[in-house]
Amino acid sequence: MNLGARIWSIIRNLAFRHKTENDLDGELRAYVDMLADEKVAAGMSPSEARRSALVEFGGVEQVRQAVRDRRAGAGLESLWQDVRYGLRTMARNPGFAILAVLMLAVGIGASTTAFDWMDQILLRPLDGVTQPQNLVALVSTTANHAYVPISYPDYQDFRDRLRLVEGVAVAHPTALSVGKEERAERVWGELVSGNFFAVLGVKPELGRMFSSAEYGDKPGAFPVAVISDRFWRTHYGSDPRVVGRTIRVNSHELTIIGVAPPDFHGSLTAEAYDLWVPYMEQPMLNGVEAWMLRDRGNRNMLAIARLKTGVTLGQAQEELSALAGRMAVADADMDQGMGATLLPLSESPFGPQGLLAGPLRILMGISVLLLLIVCANVASLLLARATAREREFSTRLALGAGRWRLIRQVLTEILLLTGIGAALGIVSVPWLSRTLQLLMPPGQPTLDLNTRLNLHVLIFTAGLCVLATVSAGVIPALQSGRTELSARINEGGRSGVAGRGRHRLRSILVISEVALALVALVCAGLFVRAFEEARGINPGFDPNHVLLTQFYLATNGYNLEQRKEFCRQLGEKMMSAPGVVDVAWSDGVPLSFEPSWWEDLEVRGYVPLPGENMKIFRNVVSPDYLKLMRIPLMTGRNFTEQDNEKSELVMIVNQTFAQRFFAGQDPVGRHVRGFGEWFTVVGEARDSKYNYLGESPTPYFYVPFRQIYRADMQLAFYVKVHGDSGAMLPILRNKVREIDPNVTVFDAMPLQESVGATLYPQKLAATLLMILGALAVLLAALGLYSVMAYAVVQRTQEIGIRMALGARRIDVLGMVEWQALILTGAGLAVGMVLALACSRSLASLSFTDSAMGGGVTLAGEKVMNPLIYAGAAVFLAAVGALAALLPAHRAASVEPMRALRTD
Amino acid sequence: MDSRQSNLLQGTLDLLILKAIGRRELHGLGVSRRIEQITQGTFQVKPGSLFPALHRMEEAGWLSSSWGESENNRRARYYRLTKAGQRQLGEEAAQWTKVAAAMTSALKAT
Repeated sequence: MNLGARIWSIIRNLAFRHKTENDLDGELRAYVDMLADEKVAAGMSPSEARRSALVEFGGVEQVRQAVRDRRAGAGLESLWQDVRYGLRTMARNPGFAILAVLMLAVGIGASTTAFDWMDQILLRPLDGVTQPQNLVALVSTTANHAYVPISYPDYQDFRDRLRLVEGVAVAHPTALSVGKEERAERVWGELVSGNFFAVLGVKPELGRMFSSAEYGDKPGAFPVAVISDRFWRTHYGSDPRVVGRTIRVNSHELTIIGVAPPDFHGSLTAEAYDLWVPYMEQPMLNGVEAWMLRDRGNRNMLAIARLKTGVTLGQAQEELSALAGRMAVADADMDQGMGATLLPLSESPFGPQGLLAGPLRILMGISVLLLLIVCANVASLLLARATAREREFSTRLALGAGRWRLIRQVLTEILLLTGIGAALGIVSVPWLSRTLQLLMPPGQPTLDLNTRLNLHVLIFTAGLCVLATVSAGVIPALQSGRTELSARINEGGRSGVAGRGRHRLRSILVISEVALALVALVCAGLFVRAFEEARGINPGFDPNHVLLTQFYLATNGYNLEQRKEFCRQLGEKMMSAPGVVDVAWSDGVPLSFEPSWWEDLEVRGYVPLPGENMKIFRNVVSPDYLKLMRIPLMTGRNFTEQDNEKSELVMIVNQTFAQRFFAGQDPVGRHVRGFGEWFTVVGEARDSKYNYLGESPTPYFYVPFRQIYRADMQLAFYVKVHGDSGAMLPILRNKVREIDPNVTVFDAMPLQESVGATLYPQKLAATLLMILGALAVLLAALGLYSVMAYAVVQRTQEIGIRMALGARRIDVLGMVEWQALILTGAGLAVGMVLALACSRSLASLSFTDSAMGGGVTLAGEKVMNPLIYAGAAVFLAAVGALAALLPAHRAASVEPMRALRTD
Repeated sequence: MDSRQSNLLQGTLDLLILKAIGRRELHGLGVSRRIEQITQGTFQVKPGSLFPALHRMEEAGWLSSSWGESENNRRARYYRLTKAGQRQLGEEAAQWTKVAAAMTSALKAT
């Protein structure tokens, strides 16, 4: 058949329907007339001829319909008819339609948002690079198989010696101070190796990227920078002459050599960086000493490698393991026991991925659960209406409609519902997606989320639509096709033979809804419990009434001595301020979002087991730190002002340290080697929590600020007050300004808030799960209510008879409630089994954003907590009883005489 | 068509219509009468089969139609073959002849 002619026919038939119909009408009439003429010519009377012609013709309408049916575009036309019919049906029952559409919108919207988040964070390949599928993350592994970043010298070895890899690049994300001192702003950027852009394959939008000119390893030789497209637009107004201008970064002038393309944001997925500077500039920018760049133990680089085409991940991993093994032997003092491996970028444990992978997976799971409950509800509602529409379907069947046509009708109606629901859901997704930023703690770069709906998400939503339609509609649709003719039309009442079967189906649906709701509740409960427990854990120090601030003195050009002097002066000034109890400063902040740093130690008198991890966490602190934190000393003494640059190097260790390395004996007087020097232990501090509230006892040590502080360390400043710590901030700012007006106070917040930040992902996961769990319960209650309400209506006559025969109101009430409780109980039983099964997989989820931390998991007894299961079950049972209350009340208030008279 | 002939394939009807119209222009009744004529009364096509077929073939591009005046000055729709229709007639006629010859020889065999 000629395709063109066919398409033209379809268009013509649909667009010019009226004319086509008229033409056909005229044609058929002409036939009848001419046939009559023939008969008249053969001798019949005109009226008899006409009648005979009509009989011979057959039914005019039948012929017309036969032509219509075989016309091109007939399928489309009948589909369109179905749609219009469906819309009219919905308009007649707006309540049902609105309810169904809203539920579907919620279910589809939630699932789509969760998928969008997963897509952005976990599935999205790196933007703005060429061939991202060949890029992998290169991480070092410790002796106990944790993933850590690599060091610059390690990077050089990998870069020079790996054969199966086209190139290795490294990046160190950091905050930089851009602009003049008074108006300096904090910009997130990456200090990168010279070949960074080459390995990633980023093409410049303007100017050039780092090239072989910047590949060298000479510190301070490349005072250049590349800015992001966003930075170019906001700070330079898209000026095309930006190339060659200088930019002031950390008080040093760098030359801008290029602008990155708009879709490139840096080497960490979903985080937006604005500035890239060669890593060799770090000594200049951060006041770091050049020798630190050569320190193999300074592991602060995130590495990305590009596989050669044709090389598989496995092959490259083997080569890397072998090389790392050789390096571990050759550089045994730093690298002993370490290995290295390659991971697909989406499995990188750093950045938002590592942080959010666990919570996002759970969210996705619960959203799908919600959608399933929604579908069950919609199916249940449809089944209820199917019973009401039996007569309508029977009539249509009697008039000659095919069963398939009826099934198609029902499916079309459902597709309409899901389509509208999905459209509503999708509209809210871009807005909801932005809330993902809330999952990230403060002090991190903003998430770069692509809020435009991309193809993945749309396809996913369309798939959900189809899935929802099928799962919600297949049973009602098949049921409608199976309607038996005579039984339906003759039945006087609303319940039919199929009514009982439908009721059973609806009951099954409600049971499954209750089961799913229980699973959702239990998961939410477990999370909330874990979160509460974590929050209730005693951190071992007192974070209350402490103001925490950060200083980046390198950006002001302070050298080491100047920084120490600054701290001393500020400490003195603050102590003299009213209301201040203690002042201290340190390198790291306990329980903050930045992981604590560690040092490789050697303990005199202790022989480490083979493969034992001698990397111990530490903090570099001022003498008053332990006092400020209210961490008591078990034996020995605290640091004093006498422990300075000229005196003997000293260290304080914690109880777990003493337990592990000194077999619980008094550690005072023992010797420990770290930072390249020997220390004497002068005290033992009580254990506290250092990285995660949920961690197990960890060995830890403190060293004096004046003795060990290095220029590449951070500077946190603490002020403990009597009252509200926030009120101290303006005073602190004043004092800082007295010392040096160019220094900025960063990230000021109560220490308590910072301590709570580690719980961010858990807190938000718990909140979201509670919301979803509540929705699930609401939907299940809705489902139960509608089933019970319908059942009551069906049984009105029966109830009337019962009451007439002497049943009291309370008996009827009890009867309905009992029925509801049976349904709920069955659902809870099934749900329990499911929940127990699910909780096993939940147990292994962890919340950690970097390696070497005691990751918090929902493990062991926490998962088996019987209180949560019991509590959820009781709650759902109560909700079920409540949902049935209104129908029960209605049943109980039936007037027997009215009921008996009702049809 | 009566019940014995009603299981004739749709394609056969198409072929009959194409042949009946031939190089002329015929209206619906005319086609029906002509088919009766050329098959010596064996096939009587009822409107219920004729019109769907006519319209279908028109949409397929084998026939074209226009309004015209019949013998008794009635306004009727006339059909004629298009070029594609002519080709189709030739192909289907050849096909049918081949099939008929094969059936004949098969039935003659012992």
